[in-house]
Order: sequence, then structure tokens, then C-alpha cells
Amino acid sequence: MFSHLEKTPRTLLVCERSHLDHEDARLGRHVEQHSFNHQLSLLVPGCDRLPAELDAALKGMRSFLLVRDLPLARLLEEDFIDQAVHKGSTYGLSYRTRIDEDNCYALLPNGKLVLSVDKDTYEVLGLEGKPSQYQRRPAGRYVVSVDLKDKTMSPGGRGHQRVLKALTEHTPLSCDLLLSQHLPGGEGPALQSLLSNHKLSEHRPRVSSRVMTSLPCPTLATSDLQGERRSCDPQSFLEWLGAVDAGVSFEEDRSGGYLSTYQCPQPQTLVDAAVRCGVSGLLLPEDIYSLVDVLRRSVLEPKLAPWLALTVHGFQDSPVSWGTAEHGFLSGGENFYTLVLFQNLDYWICMATGSHDACPP
Amino acid sequence: MQPAIFERVVVKNSPVYQYMKVSLVLEHVQTKLTAVELKHLITTGLKSLYGEVGAAFPFDLLTFEEDTLTAVLRVYSRGLVRLWSSLTLLGFFQQQRCAFRVLQVSPYLLSLTGNSRDLTLD
Repeated sequence: MFSHLEKTPRTLLVCERSHLDHEDARLGRHVEQHSFNHQLSLLVPGCDRLPAELDAALKGMRSFLLVRDLPLARLLEEDFIDQAVHKGSTYGLSYRTRIDEDNCYALLPNGKLVLSVDKDTYEVLGLEGKPSQYQRRPAGRYVVSVDLKDKTMSPGGRGHQRVLKALTEHTPLSCDLLLSQHLPGGEGPALQSLLSNHKLSEHRPRVSSRVMTSLPCPTLATSDLQGERRSCDPQSFLEWLGAVDAGVSFEEDRSGGYLSTYQCPQPQTLVDAAVRCGVSGLLLPEDIYSLVDVLRRSVLEPKLAPWLALTVHGFQDSPVSWGTAEHGFLSGGENFYTLVLFQNLDYWICMATGSHDACPP
Repeated sequence: MQPAIFERVVVKNSPVYQYMKVSLVLEHVQTKLTAVELKHLITTGLKSLYGEVGAAFPFDLLTFEEDTLTAVLRVYSRGLVRLWSSLTLLGFFQQQRCAFRVLQVSPYLLSLTGNSRDLTLD
């Protein structure tokens, strides 16, 4: 009767399992390619406090900058390209811009400047781009990608002059930009000194934590990724993680099941205590990958918990999700991954995207 | 010990449930209501739009904050459009005007707790 109302947008969930030391493990690549991370959420069942090393690692995640009204042409100036693009990995994302309504901009660590602009801006800008995969007929959004490391983009080069002219004369684009940088060896000037004549502020990621008691936890078996025998399936596990994060009560419903019929998936065990810690801001993949090493040393190898779950949420309004794959927003802009690490160093990684996203790698 | 292997599974269009984060805006802002009253309000709206048969699908009120009148709902994917449309058209609560604001919709409950649009920097 209502079959035409029962359709929902496409979603994709990619689950992989392997071992941290396995030669085919692609964990590092997945973490590295997910450039713009907004929040991470760590759940350690069986602990009532985090080890000191882990606590320090979470609180010590590097700070990031918010630069107000930055003209995009500034990113093409010689000193910025030399010191921020060619040295280390610089991440930039426009702040408080909505990918389904506004122009959004991103600077990827591989030197690509991605401009996701509406049709009017694209026509005035005069640069070559492609129509968005998710707004084709009629084309309402275009994606322009400029490789700042390309030889034609060296200052004075033909490509550089063309892009600079577009961003200064055709339509001077500017935005509030979140910026952060990873410099191997700690060399080179900080971004603050490069952009000192702009209004900028430095922010530390916000850390929060809470301890839960008597928490029902699903039982996980490392070899049963699809939840066919001894484990719950990935969708139910992700739902349970979301319920823990959202503060859903697992106590018996006093209304007799009228309000909610949600229960922890089976099979389950009851843990006496669990720690949930959240960090939010602009988090770099390098810091997240270092955190995996800390988790291995401080929680898994001392066998403090049977498993732990680390969920990393991407920015909903980022122009890209994994790598340079275009990302969009329909009824939601979810692009996150959940990493489950086990005591024997096996891991699961579940990468989820919404309808306006390519398949995760 | 079994040797570790590499396994990859791609699941498409799998979610059984959809999750909605909604908030209720009332004409008289000092009005309070309980979780049971909120669920009854939504159920009444569903029945008035789709009838008894059309509204005969379950949904769960997972969380409810009385201060902000914000709730997280869980509904079967096949019932999302009907629930969302009935929230849109719900206009009255106990003779006072009201409106539901749908803040976020996602097939993953996790996504509702990591919304970057809530990021505010001073």
C-alpha cells in the first residue's frame, strides 16, 4: 500500500578484518586517506580509568588554527606553497560552510586545493572543473581541483597565474579556514607565522570522558566479522556503540516497552565498568594512527580489556571523504569508521558512508 | 593459533533502522512534557495522517531531554518517510501551536553523536 514511501537513500558499509602486523592489513591506508576528522570516540569496556599514557595521548592531540576571512589566493602565494604545501602535510577545511548550500573549500595534505562551488560561482570563476556527481541534472554544483604541487603551479607558472587571477580578479573567494599541519621532524615555520597578518586563533581539541557501570556489552569473536555464529553483526554493533555514545539507557523501561524496545544485541556480557572518551576538533590522521600504537601498548598488550572500539567521524561538510572521493550531503553527511581492536591484535574496521558518497576504499 | 587472514565485506543498503534527532518547539516555551506524552503526540500525528493501518509500524524513543525537548527516534527504514512527513505536518499539542524541527537523520545512530555542524569555536 505504501511501497512508494518505503524507499530510503543508498548507504554503504565496508567491513574488513585482519591483524595489526599482517602484510595485507590496510588499516594505515584507511586512516591516512580519511583526511578531515572531526571527532573521535573511544570506548574501553572492562576499565574504570584510562592508563596514564593513553590519557596523555588523548589530551595531547595537536592544536589547530581558525583563520578568519582568509582569501583563498593567500594559499597560492610563494611562501605558503613552499613552506606549508611542499613541507609536511597541511590540512585545511572551510569552517561553518554547508556542502549542500554553500561554497566549501579543502586543502588536502597531498597539495590539492578542492573547491566545491555553486553554479554561479563556477561560471564567474572561470576555472576548469567537473559537475558534482550528486547534482547532475540540472548541474547545481561543481568541483574544481587545483594541484598546488604540480610544476605548472609553481609561482609565475602559467597555471598558477590563471588560478591566481581567478581568485583575485574574477571572484575573490574567502572563508574562515580550519588549518593544521603535520611536520615530520618538527622542522619549518609554524602556520601562525605564515598567516600572522590575518585574524587567527589557536584551539585545542576538546576532551570529555565518562565512566559507565554495569554496561551490557555485545560479545565479539574476532573471526566472526559478519555475526553469523558467535558474534553480533556489524550493524547491530554500530547501533550499540551509537546507543552508548548517545546515552541511551539500558535499564528496564518503566513504561513497559511503550517508549523503546531497544536492547543490547545478543550474545552479550555485563561489564562492571567501561570508559568512554571523546575528542573533537580538527584531528589529523597522523595523530589518530599514533593513538592506535598507544592503544596497542597501553591497553591491548597489558590485556586490560578484551577489545576496544575507536570511532572516528569525518566532517559532514567536507568536499572529500576518503582520498579525493567526492563527498556530499543528502539527509546526512555521515562518513565515519569504527576500529575494533582485540587483545590478540586482530582488528575490525567498519567504514560507513551515506548516499552522496563513493564506496570507501 | 590460526593464521590471521584478510577479509573484506561490503554491505549495501543494509540498515534496518533509521535514526532521527528531532526537537519540539512549542508556542508557550515554558510548557513541559514527558517522554510518554511526546511519544503519544507523535503516534497521534501518524494516525491522523495515515490512519490506523498506515501508522501501524513501531518506532522507539531512544533518548529524550526534557530541558531542550530534543529526542532521538529509531524507526524501521520502511517507515521513515511516513514518520518524517507526519512530524512535518504536526501542528498542535494540547491546543497550542507546535513544530517539530528535524535536526539530523541517519541510518547510523553513531552518526547522530558526531555531528560536525555542532562544532562551535569562539
